[in-house]
Amino acid sequence: MDPLIYILDLVVFIGIFAIVALSLNLEYGFTGLGNFGKVAFFLIGAYTYALLIETGLSFVLCLIIAALLSGLIGSLISLPALRLREDYLAIVTLAFGEIIRIVVKAEHWIAHGVWGISVPPAIFWQGASFRMIIVTHIGLIFLCLLICFILVQLLTNSPYGRIIRAIREDEIAAATLGKNRLEYKAQVFMMGSAIAGLGGALFAQYIGYIEPYMFLPMLTFTVWIMVLLGGPANNWGVLLGATLVQLFDRGTKMVKDYLFVPVDPNNLQYILLGILIIFILLYRPGGLLKESQVKTKALEKAAQWKRHS
Amino acid sequence: MEEALLRIRDITKNFGGLHAVDGVSIDVGTESTVGLVGPNGSGKTTLFNVIFGLHRADHGSVYFNDERIDHLAPHQVFAKGMANAFQLPRLFHQLTTLDNMLLAARNHKGDSLLNSLFLRTGWQHQEEEFAEKAMEILELLELAHLNLSLAGELSGGQRKLLEIGRALMADPVLLLLDEPASGVNPILGRKIFEKIEHFRQKGTSFFIIEHRLEILMEFANWIYVMDKGKIVIDGKPEEVVNSPTFYDVYMGEE
Repeated sequence: MDPLIYILDLVVFIGIFAIVALSLNLEYGFTGLGNFGKVAFFLIGAYTYALLIETGLSFVLCLIIAALLSGLIGSLISLPALRLREDYLAIVTLAFGEIIRIVVKAEHWIAHGVWGISVPPAIFWQGASFRMIIVTHIGLIFLCLLICFILVQLLTNSPYGRIIRAIREDEIAAATLGKNRLEYKAQVFMMGSAIAGLGGALFAQYIGYIEPYMFLPMLTFTVWIMVLLGGPANNWGVLLGATLVQLFDRGTKMVKDYLFVPVDPNNLQYILLGILIIFILLYRPGGLLKESQVKTKALEKAAQWKRHS
Repeated sequence: MEEALLRIRDITKNFGGLHAVDGVSIDVGTESTVGLVGPNGSGKTTLFNVIFGLHRADHGSVYFNDERIDHLAPHQVFAKGMANAFQLPRLFHQLTTLDNMLLAARNHKGDSLLNSLFLRTGWQHQEEEFAEKAMEILELLELAHLNLSLAGELSGGQRKLLEIGRALMADPVLLLLDEPASGVNPILGRKIFEKIEHFRQKGTSFFIIEHRLEILMEFANWIYVMDKGKIVIDGKPEEVVNSPTFYDVYMGEE
């Protein structure tokens, strides 16, 4: 196989997962919402895109609708779920992720159940080489990543970003300072779901074929490790985390063929990921990069003040 | 007394079989400092939580500026013009002192999602104004040099001051303070009350729970004494201190 394709493929996956990890960072890193159903919105985005593109709509429109629908479903789920305390929110979202997958698997009429559906290629042209098509996908995915990154960066460096961090730290105190915590949390959940849905749509477009078993809970946990490793509440850290975890994922997949281990080599990856989480939480609980500060004009003003006195 | 700023009428709050607050009525007038004292467990903090919407009263009503507020959520109570400082400071530890202050700013355009994203020029100058105001309060509380430290790195006394400063940042009409002078050294405790007096003269009303009676008596206009969920006596500080009921509540009946 063309080794360049392998590397390009890796870059694609880093891009897609970075998008999803950014969305979890917004929810967990900044707002403290333990969403363990990330995969559900990834799935909704992917299936929405796949079903829409078949109708012949332009792929840009399909990406947008996929993101909007994921966001809409996210906000519907958030209405009951956000009234729960953190750990219960985790359980509810985890269950939701599985329910969605099982419904898609069992309800044949939605998307052929376990048979999956193929996603007609939307980004290609006459005479394009396989490499060129992947490079085009990379361009699209990284453009989407850039847009999401800028949006999340802007949002987290604003009064809004300050409020969601405050809700993460102590939501009762935030409420007594006039912040409607449910409203903020629902908005964040909606945005996070929309961004994850966009990631799913890009995934479907790139892979060209999706079926329910691609959306196991492990995907959620992989994204969680990216956020925890890179540094919650630091968007650059999350990009770093997504890259490192993808490299780790590919690395262990390659290495396992040459290893003799007393466990099923297919599970080796999960074991190593589990160990990685334990090490992060023990020795670097804040992740590789520290939480970023809220950067607005207020910070500049206060920093000058310090110099005066 | 009908024109009082805060009118608490016959508030009752039970936890299971425990009557934490039992038919309490209190008035807090405009530009006054009203003290609430009583032994531990007499229901003072529960009453504060009811006023601010953190607990729902089982019975009774609370009026603020002639508007009934006992069914409101905390953020709505804040919007009416009240603020609150907890007994144990509830700061946002991973945020800076400055950010903790800015979170109390009222009517900030950047607080909404769309404005934060797309109207950035609309609120950046507001951020500067609020930062300036926050720095002035921090200077008054001698915390200005810690403006960019994380709240979680502050000492116990500094946290207490920041908790009060944050509440002052909200420009409240009425400020509920739960033991502002507890857990800080006597000199600082006094200083805190001097700042309170400073803000009272500028038009803020205070409703204060405090165990440091010698300081409270000096600054308060009116004192309510609470015991086992009930108001047992109220009056001017000197009247209350000299009454036998007050002695019984604090020292135990003979």
